[in-house]
Amino acid sequence: MVDAARHPKVDVRTYTEVERVEGYVGNFKALLREKTRYVRADRCNGCGECAKVCPIEVPNRFEMNLAPRRAAYVAMSQSVPLVYTIDLDACIHCYKCVEACGKLEAIDFSMQDRLVWEDVGAIITATGFSHFDPSVIPEYGYGRYPNVVTAMEMERLNNSAGPTAGNLVRPSDGANPGRVAIINCVGSRDKRFNPWCSNFCCMYAIKNAVLIKQAHPDVDITIYYIDIRTPSKGYEEFYERARDMGIRFMQGRPSLITEDPDTRNLYVLSEDMTLGQVTEREYDMVMLNQAAVPQPDVDTMSSVLNVTQSPGGWFMEYHPKLRPMDSPTDGVFLAGACQGAKDIPASVAQGSAAASRAGRVLHAPEWEIEPVVASVWEDRCISAQGKKCGVCSRACPYSAIEYEVGKAAHVVVAKCHGCGGCVAECPHNAITQLHFTDAQILAQIRALLADKPETKILAFRCHWCSYGGADLAGVSHFEYSSNERGLRVMCSARMDADFIYEALRLGAGAVLYSGCHPQDCHYITGQRVGAARAERLLNAFEKMGMSPGRFRVEWISAAEGDKYARVINEMQAVLDALPREQLMAEIERLRPDMEKRARRMREVPQVKEALAFADRLKAAMTVTKTMAG
Amino acid sequence: MNHSHKPETFADQVRAAPGGEHLNRCFSCGTCVATCPIQWSDESYNPRRIIKMAMLGMKDEVLSSPTIWLCSACDICYRRCPQGVHISDVMKAIREVAIQEGYEPVRAIAQVNEQVCAGCGMCATVCPYEAITLTTGWVMGQPTTLPQVDRFLCLGCGTCAATCPSSAISVTDDSDETIIAQIREFVEEMEGQR
Repeated sequence: MVDAARHPKVDVRTYTEVERVEGYVGNFKALLREKTRYVRADRCNGCGECAKVCPIEVPNRFEMNLAPRRAAYVAMSQSVPLVYTIDLDACIHCYKCVEACGKLEAIDFSMQDRLVWEDVGAIITATGFSHFDPSVIPEYGYGRYPNVVTAMEMERLNNSAGPTAGNLVRPSDGANPGRVAIINCVGSRDKRFNPWCSNFCCMYAIKNAVLIKQAHPDVDITIYYIDIRTPSKGYEEFYERARDMGIRFMQGRPSLITEDPDTRNLYVLSEDMTLGQVTEREYDMVMLNQAAVPQPDVDTMSSVLNVTQSPGGWFMEYHPKLRPMDSPTDGVFLAGACQGAKDIPASVAQGSAAASRAGRVLHAPEWEIEPVVASVWEDRCISAQGKKCGVCSRACPYSAIEYEVGKAAHVVVAKCHGCGGCVAECPHNAITQLHFTDAQILAQIRALLADKPETKILAFRCHWCSYGGADLAGVSHFEYSSNERGLRVMCSARMDADFIYEALRLGAGAVLYSGCHPQDCHYITGQRVGAARAERLLNAFEKMGMSPGRFRVEWISAAEGDKYARVINEMQAVLDALPREQLMAEIERLRPDMEKRARRMREVPQVKEALAFADRLKAAMTVTKTMAG
Repeated sequence: MNHSHKPETFADQVRAAPGGEHLNRCFSCGTCVATCPIQWSDESYNPRRIIKMAMLGMKDEVLSSPTIWLCSACDICYRRCPQGVHISDVMKAIREVAIQEGYEPVRAIAQVNEQVCAGCGMCATVCPYEAITLTTGWVMGQPTTLPQVDRFLCLGCGTCAATCPSSAISVTDDSDETIIAQIREFVEEMEGQR
């Protein structure tokens, strides 16, 4: 940290908060609030004279409130930069510190917070995690029983730089404990609080047990666990070492901790899984290994950085396996536990990866983006005519659309990833997607349904999943009906209702609406936009009295080639079971309705030309066929 | 539609019964066992083992186990369960399967003496398990309001028996007379010791 602070190209701003971020990859502007310390950083030399004379003592947060600190303080002795801070909430304005500071004149009570705008090219988010508060679990008695401590409290009590100088004592009477219990999964793997596994706590429990055992070999240590998870290199060996040292491992989650009010000793009640018996054992001290949880202000940071959150509140990565260090917003990267609970090696690896990703942005004179982006026809956007809408902006998973009544919606191209959700959602067809324009897709629908449409299954597939699924079905030689006609768009969000109406108007036998499973979506929430629309379509078609199964919605991953083949075959079976006269009558009956619904699409620029071209092509094909016949 | 032709397993049967939905959520941490007040008096009582056996399809062992009939649905385990498994509901689901399969409850349930019952319905009001419903029955050729005890739902707690003003409802083997006799015996024994 000291090296980083001294590096000519590293500017460390501590005690500073990011309040706002504007712009896009390579061109961010960040508003920083440099909070005042009431001590001038350029004058303070970190001598600590101010703290020595300060008469006020308050709990020291760094020591888990197990020790006091003064109102003039540094967070910890290794703080960088080593500049003292006056805690104004505790300060009584005796000005003894000013006197002690003397000629340096570093203390200045007239200082104010400073707001500065900085231009930055890339942002790495490394805001870490917080700890679950175990006092909300009444059966463990944390907060009521003094000798029940959290993992972090144990950490300080057993640390040679801690308040007891490494002498492990229990809080109730300062005695050295002879029997210590460590309870894992406190608040994690628990649906009442946090469903996730906090990843590092098993190793952390073992590490603490080993440290205690090394310093105090006579201490009897028992670790209560549900499962011990030691998946990384050398971890299982460390677990073995702990067992060799005589640390006891007890499979069974404690259900209750009670206290003897006289001795302040604790009784831990649990089932010993291997014996299948309930045991109650006495301890002098119990450590609760708490869950890792997102920082309390994670929601604020999430909206400041425009980074979405995974369930539970962690920052969401672009892709869980392939791009864990990228956020879905280009130019914003994730490092460490802010993206999900992880241990030190994983955090270092992710941090280094994020730094190299950010370096790529900073070194590039130009930044390439995918050519498939949304584009607004400003004259068609009703917002430009002063009407309230904003549907596109709400559908966008990347907040790439700036929307303001009175102005046409504006796509920030650098932020757009090209899912096409806005294009399909726009009620006035005022947005198009380059390379997947309405005209292009409608022309494809025409071409695919040119011949005997009632026998065809038109399959809309999303680029990333169901198209891959169909591909896999092909290369795996899974047979499926040859009446299927596939049509690729980037995301199910792009599958405009108008396309479905048009396909049915043209008399398609069946239509498949397929995309990624919601958790696999390549565009954060694109699938959800598509799924909501599919639901509306299903309801509408049911009310119209369409035969069930003619319009089908399926989420198929790129690995589910068998499912793709099965779905198509099932749809073929539906068509086979429907007598042809009945199907034709149904198509004719629904045609006027579909015609009405699909009509708006025809006003979209380029559509008429494209359709006329498709018709000419069809005519030409018919002629060729006739000649060949 | 996916029409699976896999035969229905015992675990499926339990999960299909109301309350059994969350059977598979259990990850065997033992919190319920260490919580259960029945465990204090009967060490062989182990709900975790019943759930595990049900998941493994050990049908006969589960259905013939007295454990499934002993749970009194105090739900302390449910409050502490980290996976939100409503254990008393799972037990209820298993009991339902047991009844369907012809197993008999191995516990006492409330029984109504129709000759004495006045049909006031207080028993139905106080029953914590909603096991008592009021129906119209015929007693000596007269239509009368009578409580009917659902033998799947009744857990034999005896609240109804203690409440009934006419002593018309009692738990088998735990009738007022038996308990009073037991108390008398106990008091005499204590006096004898003194």
